[in-house]
Formats: sequence, structure tokens, C-alpha cells
Amino acid sequence: MQIDFAAKELTVKLVYYGPALSGKTTNLRAIHWLGTSSACGELMTLETQNDRTLFFDMLPITVSSETGLKVRLKLFTVPGQVMHNATRRLVLQAADGVAFIADSQRSEADANRESFANLKQNFQEAGLDPNRVPIVIQFNKRDMKDIRTDEELEAIANQSRETIYKAVATRGYGVMQTLRGLIRETWSKLEEAHQLEQSFGINPRRFMKDVESRLKHDPSGAER
Amino acid sequence: MTQDDTNAADILMGDVVRLEDVLRRDSVTSVAKSFFGLFGLPVRVISHEGDLLADVHRDRPLCSYLNTFSGGERECARTVGIVRDLEPDNGVIVHPCFTGAVYRIVPLAYQGRIIGRLIVGPYVPAEAGAPPASLTSVDEGIDGPTAREHFQRMPRVREDIAGELCSHLKGVLELLVFSGHRAHLASTMQVANVRENYRELAEKNEALKTSYDELKQLDQLKSTFLATVSHELRTPLTSIIGYAEMLESGAAGTLSDGQADLLKTIRSKADQLLGLISSLLDLGRLEAKNLKLHYEAVDPRALLSDVGSTIVPHANRRNIALDIQVTDGTPKIWGDPVRLRQILINLADNALKFTREGGEVVLGVEPGQLEAEGPSGLGAALFAPPGRPAVVLTVRDTGLGIPEDKLPRIFDAFYQIDSGTTRAHGGAGLGLSIVKQLVDGHRGKIEVASVPGEGTLFTVMLPAAGDDGR
Repeated sequence: MQIDFAAKELTVKLVYYGPALSGKTTNLRAIHWLGTSSACGELMTLETQNDRTLFFDMLPITVSSETGLKVRLKLFTVPGQVMHNATRRLVLQAADGVAFIADSQRSEADANRESFANLKQNFQEAGLDPNRVPIVIQFNKRDMKDIRTDEELEAIANQSRETIYKAVATRGYGVMQTLRGLIRETWSKLEEAHQLEQSFGINPRRFMKDVESRLKHDPSGAER
Repeated sequence: MTQDDTNAADILMGDVVRLEDVLRRDSVTSVAKSFFGLFGLPVRVISHEGDLLADVHRDRPLCSYLNTFSGGERECARTVGIVRDLEPDNGVIVHPCFTGAVYRIVPLAYQGRIIGRLIVGPYVPAEAGAPPASLTSVDEGIDGPTAREHFQRMPRVREDIAGELCSHLKGVLELLVFSGHRAHLASTMQVANVRENYRELAEKNEALKTSYDELKQLDQLKSTFLATVSHELRTPLTSIIGYAEMLESGAAGTLSDGQADLLKTIRSKADQLLGLISSLLDLGRLEAKNLKLHYEAVDPRALLSDVGSTIVPHANRRNIALDIQVTDGTPKIWGDPVRLRQILINLADNALKFTREGGEVVLGVEPGQLEAEGPSGLGAALFAPPGRPAVVLTVRDTGLGIPEDKLPRIFDAFYQIDSGTTRAHGGAGLGLSIVKQLVDGHRGKIEVASVPGEGTLFTVMLPAAGDDGR
């Protein structure tokens, strides 16, 4: 998190992590498409010729609170391919919250596990404390065949420390719920660590209301 | 924008705060020029810090005319000053000029932040008919009809069109900022990535080096251990052989035939063991590079016949034909006769060991040329030192042969092509390793060619002795 007292701005870094082709960039694209144009900036993608993320994608979201403080949420994706670990580590540095995008297909269970193990390893190397930086998990591609069933996910969710979300990012389902959940958990951790309500007078509940109203589905968004 | 590229995380979180960091002045100017060329509207682009990045305009006759009067000049400077400092934080500002023209000030924003502004004008709104009456009061020298005439020749644009044109130009510039920022982030990330990968590799290399050093130490320990153990083994063994010899020579009385036979076996096995221990000692010394060679000119014919006579009983026992071929005119070898003999004996022993009954082993010698080690590749002909005359020793057998993938390892100490052969043929896998080290010690070369099932040919090239015996 970066605080610019002079400009009354607070910048929060949120990272979308996960195995290759699990839909991290698709999540950002959907947020960009669904979010209001006044909140979402341009989606920046740095990809190879065949549309694989090379370094990262970035989507800035701005939420102004009534206290005059401007909260800028910067959403990043990491490249999922195993060989890009150095890039993942760099992007993950100083993250405030992480959304882990898992692939619901049974065939991808190993890839999910490997990627999550890699996330834990990189957390350690980047000096991030999992107790202070929340992780939410999204099971994406719910529309595919041979996926983990809802009952299985229910069972997983009951045991899991992380909140579990379900999504079909290509159609925008579940994408905003995941983002809102991630922001809520991140904000609550930041509040714990920095007493934002005391310093800036932003009430967490009030802030989430602002976020929700700014991110609310914008019918004109489809044209953007 | 944060310029500290030592920390990519900061860069990723950094914003475009200075327009000039992501926009080249000449690109902005070229966009402004094209805008001016198309619509005749003057354009200035100013960063949030107040730096003028582009200024494309042509003095209009009205402005030139008014500037000839001190009042006009003063009023013009004041207007331009105000316009330059106006910050359109809350949207477009249309600022009137005292001439009746207007300036349009449009904010440039990126990721929700104002990073600069563009000023379009002065132009006259198409809706305006004539200059304000107040114009002539700016300076008493100003002539109303002349000013009006110049006013009519000012660029005219309808306000709604002007709004659209400005919004278009703003879009183009903001897109340039976006692309510039994207390129900047990509290159920063690239550099940070290279650095991160390098750091990771350096760490791994360091770990590899440490484990390599540890292994080298262990290897050294192994050599020392070998040398010590073989030395300690040899001392009692020499006594055993000595006492066996004394018994054989009748020092303890006459032996029965049975006793003599048993004693002979003890002697032969003890000799075999001594040979093995000597090899271990040799290897230890060779690996420690402290085996001294005593050079002299060695006659290859004598060397081969000596070796032949040593191994012929073995060959006869196994019904293997042994042939010796010496080419006339072969020079003498510059080497240590004892070690040269060891080289040939080891190779010949091996050949016999792996050749079936009824096979053939041929020892040969012929003159040759030892290519000097020199640079290879482009221009090697010019740089390579001339080759030296050499003696080529060959040991050929019609044995089992060696599979191609095993060839690179046969000179490694203790290496056996498969452990089955150890049981069938005996040996500790030291012979070839010692041969290789001895040939290297002579600055010679050893090569091997083999066809599994047909046989193997070892070729040893050793430097020939010169005319003066060296």
C-alpha cells in the first residue's frame, strides 16, 4: 500500500495469481468491461503474440470516498507459465491482497496445486505474511465439462481458510463477487495494520459501499 | 514516474506524474502540427509542472496589429499569462481573449490524475459577429475598422465542433501517454526480470560451486585413502610372497607335489593381488600428479617383442592368436620404458581378457604424426603449430567390442561397462584409467574405435624421439 498524504491518495495493490490459462487476464478484462467507466481506467496488457501474458496486465480502479480521500486499486495479473517465475515474484512484491484463480477442470487440479505451492514459496521470498495479505480463491471455468462439482467446492470451502468463489470469467459471472470479496478482505487487513478509519476517517463499511456503487454493473460498459 | 529501477515493485506501483517522462517532445509537437495543419487552430501542450512540451501557432494579423500598440501588447501578455496558468481540474475551461477570440483549455488525465493540459486558440467562435466594442479602448491608437477587418480573418470554429476537436486531440495525447507508460513499464520489467534471473542463477551457481568443492575434497580424500590403504596392504603382502618363495625353494624342507601345487596357487594369487595393489598406488600417484617419468629413446620393436613374450603364455592358454606387426622405419619413442611397457601390457591384457577362444590379438607399431593442440575453426591453418613425428602403437582384438554410448567413459577409474564383466573377466576397472593417465603424462593421445561383436582397436600416439635422441 502506498499513501500520498499531499494528494490524499491511497494506492492498494491486488494481484491475480494462478496457473497458466486459468483466466487471470480474462478476469481483468471482465472487470474492465463490467465496471463503470468512471471507476475503471484503461486495461494495460503486456502479452506475447499468441495472447499469453508476458509480464503482467494492469487495471487501475479509482474510488473516491466522501472524506476526499481517493483510493486507487491497482489490479495486476502475473504470467502463469512456469518459466516466468522471476516475473511473478516481481509482480507479487508489496501486494496487499491476492486472488488465486484456479481452473475448475479436474484435469487441472495438479496445475492448481503447483501454482499455489509456487505462490506460497514466492510469498516467502517476497517477505509477504499470509496472515496480513489475504488470499481469496476463485474456481473459474464453471461452464466447462468434467469439473469439480458444486458439492465438492462446498466441502473444500468448509475446510478452507481462504474464501472460495465460483466464476465463469469469459461471461463475467462471479468476477465482480471475487473482486469485491478480495477488496473487503484486503481492506480489513489494511485497517488492522494501519488504522485507516482513525487516520483518514474512512469507515470500512462505508468504503465497501462506495466500492460497490462504483463497480456496479454498468449497462453502457458493454460498449466500451 | 518513479525512476528507480532497482525495485520493479515500486515501478509497477508508480504513476505517470510527469508528462515529459512518457512523451517525446517531438512526438507531441508533430501531433500538434498536424492538428494545426488540418484545422488552423493553434495548440500548446503544457505538463502539470508547467513545462511547455509543444507550441504550434502562427501570429494572426489581428494579434500582430494589436501588439504594435503598447496597450494591446500589455493586454495580450496578460491574457496569455492567465491562459497559461489556468488549471482545468474540473473540466474544460473556455477563456475569453480581449479581442473577442477565445482559448479552450482542456485537461490531460491519466489513470484518474491530471498530468497536463492542452490549450487550443485563440480562435473566434463562429457564432461571434464582430470584436467587442471594448477592443478600441485598450489603446487609443487602435483603429476600429482595421481591427474589425483583421478580426474577420481570424480562424473561426463553431463551439460544439471546437469541443469535439479538442476532445479528439486530448484522446490522441492520452493514448500516447498510455502507450508510453506501457512501453516504459515493459522495459523496466524486462530489466528487473533480467536482474532477478541473474540473481537466481548466481545463487544457484554459488550452491553448485560449493557442492563441487565439497566433492573435490571428497575425491582428494578418496585418493589419499587409496594410496594409504594400498601401501599398507602391500607391506604384509610382500612378506607373504617372500615366505611363499622361501617355502617353494625348500627352505623348510622338501615339498610334496600337492604342497608345491597349493603353494604355486598361493604365489600366483598373491602376485595377482600385488599387481592390483600396485595399480591402485599408481593411480593414486597419477591422480596426485606426482608420478615421475624417466625419459629415454625407446626402441618400439624391442618394446613390442618384450610385451609379446610376457603375454604369449596367456594367449596360448586361451588359444588366441597373437601377432606383432612392426612397420619398417618406425622411429624410437621418447618415453619412460617402464611406463610404456605398462601401457601396452594393460591394453594387451584387456584385449586378451575380452577376446573369445580362437580369436586374435594384434600389437602393431608404425610411424605417424601427432597433431599439435592448436586453435580450431577459422584460420586454424595459420595458427596451428606444426605436427610432431610420432610413433603409433595399436592393439587390436576380435573381442566383444564396446557399445558406442559407453566409449566416453571407459577411461574413468573403476568404470566397468557392465558389472557382469567384472565377475566374468575380473579386474577392478583401473587398467584403462592408468593407461590414459600415462599417455597424457607422455603428452601423447589415445583413441579407441570399436564395433560391438567384432572387436576393438586402441591407438596410442606417442612423440617420437628426435635425431639427437630427444
